[in-house]
Amino acid sequence: MIAAQLRGGDELLGRLEEALLAAGGEGAHAFTTVRQGEHTRFAGTRVHQPQAVEEVQLMVTVDRGGGAARVATSRLEDARATGAEALRRAAALVPGLTSAGAPAEAVSGSFSEWDEDTAAWGAGARSQVASVAMTLAQAAGATANGMLSRVLVEMATAGPSGRAYVSATEAAATLLVRSGAGSAYRGDLSRSVERMAVEEMVHGALAEAAAARDPEPLPPGTYDVVLGPLAVGDMLTFFGAMGFTGEAVAAGAGAVARRQGQTVASELVTVADDALFAGVGLPIPFDIEGMPKVEVPMLDRGRVGAAVFDLATARAAGTRSTGHAHIAREEAPSPTPANLILRPGSSTTAELIEGVDDGLYISRFHYTRMVDPETSAFTGVTRDAAFRIRGGRLAGPVASSRFTEEVLGILSRTDGVGSQLLSQPIMNVWNGVASAPSLRVRGFRLGFR
Amino acid sequence: MSQIATASSWAWAHSEDEARALAQEAVDLALGRGATYADARLVEVVEERLYAASGREPDWRLEQVVGLGVRVLLRGAWGFGSRVLGPASQAIEAAVAAVEMAEAQVGPNSAHLDPLPGASGHFRTPFIVDPFAVPPSTKHQLVAGLLEEALATPEVTRAVAGVNAKRQRRCFASSEGSWQVQELLETGGLLQVWAARDGEVQRRSYPNSFHGNTAAAGWEYLDELRLPAELPRVADEARALLRAPVLAAGTADLVLGPAMTALQIHESCGHALELDRIFGDEAGFAGTSFIRAEERGRMRYGSEAVTMIADPTTPGARGSFAFDDEGQPARPAVLIENGIVNDFLSSRETAQRIGRSSTAAMRADGHSFMPLCFSTHVGLRPGEGDLDALLERLGDGYYLDMDRSWSIDEKRLNFQFGTEVAWEVRRGRRTRLYRNASYGGVTPEFWGSVEAVGGPETLQVFGLPCGKGEPKQWGFVSHGAAPILVRGVRIGVAG
Repeated sequence: MIAAQLRGGDELLGRLEEALLAAGGEGAHAFTTVRQGEHTRFAGTRVHQPQAVEEVQLMVTVDRGGGAARVATSRLEDARATGAEALRRAAALVPGLTSAGAPAEAVSGSFSEWDEDTAAWGAGARSQVASVAMTLAQAAGATANGMLSRVLVEMATAGPSGRAYVSATEAAATLLVRSGAGSAYRGDLSRSVERMAVEEMVHGALAEAAAARDPEPLPPGTYDVVLGPLAVGDMLTFFGAMGFTGEAVAAGAGAVARRQGQTVASELVTVADDALFAGVGLPIPFDIEGMPKVEVPMLDRGRVGAAVFDLATARAAGTRSTGHAHIAREEAPSPTPANLILRPGSSTTAELIEGVDDGLYISRFHYTRMVDPETSAFTGVTRDAAFRIRGGRLAGPVASSRFTEEVLGILSRTDGVGSQLLSQPIMNVWNGVASAPSLRVRGFRLGFR
Repeated sequence: MSQIATASSWAWAHSEDEARALAQEAVDLALGRGATYADARLVEVVEERLYAASGREPDWRLEQVVGLGVRVLLRGAWGFGSRVLGPASQAIEAAVAAVEMAEAQVGPNSAHLDPLPGASGHFRTPFIVDPFAVPPSTKHQLVAGLLEEALATPEVTRAVAGVNAKRQRRCFASSEGSWQVQELLETGGLLQVWAARDGEVQRRSYPNSFHGNTAAAGWEYLDELRLPAELPRVADEARALLRAPVLAAGTADLVLGPAMTALQIHESCGHALELDRIFGDEAGFAGTSFIRAEERGRMRYGSEAVTMIADPTTPGARGSFAFDDEGQPARPAVLIENGIVNDFLSSRETAQRIGRSSTAAMRADGHSFMPLCFSTHVGLRPGEGDLDALLERLGDGYYLDMDRSWSIDEKRLNFQFGTEVAWEVRRGRRTRLYRNASYGGVTPEFWGSVEAVGGPETLQVFGLPCGKGEPKQWGFVSHGAAPILVRGVRIGVAG
């Protein structure tokens, strides 16, 4: 049995104290993140990429106004040296006109988002599930690819006004079954492996792939559609780019800066960044600046609401951080939506489909990219199971198609919201997750425009 | 003693002897636990980044990662384990994790590697000026000056400027006797300017839009970029785009500029020729490919003018190295020869499935993750003539450059790219500017319609990050791209 041991709050907070002491205290802040991930990745007939991956970062920020110096290391034992180097580099910064400002009230305490079943979901058990999926797929004349993951997460923050630590589990499953020229996909992400219902995912994907095996080309045109939860969640990941961040507000760009209070979507649509919504996605109580996560209503029954802020953008805007500090690899720090959720309705997906006389069911998008943040235009292709809907029932499978649509246009033409949420990771966002139900949308355009 | 690398220090956390001992210890442990093959990568990375964006204080950061990744082949099953390395060695933990991941796999397992002799050597990126030794004031003044000048331009509402540098030492040991030490250095820069007027927002970037551009070089590369000299043009073009008409839908002949051609190579050639994708190993996330391995030597990918070469020995390119991350020596490989598929971006395991040798394309992001087939330095072989000659040959059409948005399907067939700029070309001369340009097509039809490629004097090298795998890891790749002349392309497809 592979022993995964948590560092624990005492050790991580102790390292941060060392770092802050060396960094001079005033204007200094530090955090550390630890991810111990086990990933069982399989393809066809074998587990081809079983990985036990450890990622550790301790970062010290010294902000004296006019700029921030950050130094990070994977070596927790070097916390003191990391703090000292941050202080040394901060001395080289040119003092600016802005002030580091009074420290906001940070979170203090020890928190847990732990699930014992997830922590105990070992490599052997995951391999067994993968083997079953691959065997069943083969027996059906199909092939199965996917990944089953268990991650143990720790984060600690320390600054002038608080010390906080959280430990959490993370379970993820993805499964693609390819059958003939068709395919079907399942994916979910949760603190709890039990909530993901992995066995149902396997059987659901097998059945759907069998139904999707001989897709017909789809004529370009405008269709009434039911979008599956993963297609809807994909759209949510554009809310940052569409202007729901403090950075966009400061630049006067995007939805919040230009259309706050306006109705831009159906009143059935409520979208929030909500890291405290129990049982869905990857709840977490604070961000890397130690600021408490606040529910941010982005679209409230179709009306443009608020943006997410980190300390820097909140200071500039004269408001409070919403707990959305983020530092992505190879990018400047920026406030980032990280726990997006489109609130569920009361309909099953089958009921949404019943409301379409002649249209499509689209389970998933692929390689979506923003074309114009101001109009919310994005492009992508449909991927995996997609079916005609005729007379309120699923009919024959259809092939992948390109589309260019507007996120807000889709949400404004929504007349039905599903009840079941599925979660998916937001790429390049730490603890980033988008959770969404199915939607019924009138007039979705497919094909080159 | 502090193990944090200071601005001018090239000290590594481990001496070469220590690194070799740790890596060998991991390999020996794996063999002792029954592995038939094992390799260990001890990777140390130090990265410095200074970004300034309007409305925010500049962000200056130094990041260090030190760790060990161990890959084993045990009773026909792969296993991989990685651990960060502190002063108290944890090499054994990574090896144990790799072995136990392999042991946990439900059989039967039949993975194997044909044995190869070990390969050893040392490599260091040539450079002139160490970017970590450049005074902080030089970097801050450069970036602050760019931002100040950009924002002083009428209608410019937002700007981002940045510089970046990364040095890494990648040590590799294998059960076949390899010992390799590579010290790789890269330096890059970025400038982006947004102009706004009456609700219209337009962006121009230099030297490229997606993460700027990064070369395997020292600070001399920043000097070559001449960011301050380019800024007025970039800002003026962003403003001019505000008043430009939208490029309408239709079919047109195009010349794609080097930056756009680089992305076209990346998305529709590099990824499509990754042999693990072709075999379906990446189907669950990144997807597959329209190219099939058995069609090598027969499948027409593009026109006679299209020859693509993977050459990770290319000096100055971000995707270059001496050995890939399973220890295979870098070598040039012709992927597409006069339009015909000739080879793939392959690993040892995938190449042996088609009876060929690896093209040394097995790469991993740092120490943490299991290597995958990634692009290396994949470039388009130049043709003849400068850009003016290519536009002259185009006659009437459009010149498009620099990506604004990009999307391609999971088989790397159906693509749609948006560009920052488009100029109408009349009788071989650039005339009117258009905004919100886009084009789309199907990969082999598109490359099959390439009539000409610009000459060596038009060739540029672009280094960019790329994502692949589950969990997703970054790949750092590069593409050599000259402008291309393509006939009959659908434009204005994004509406």
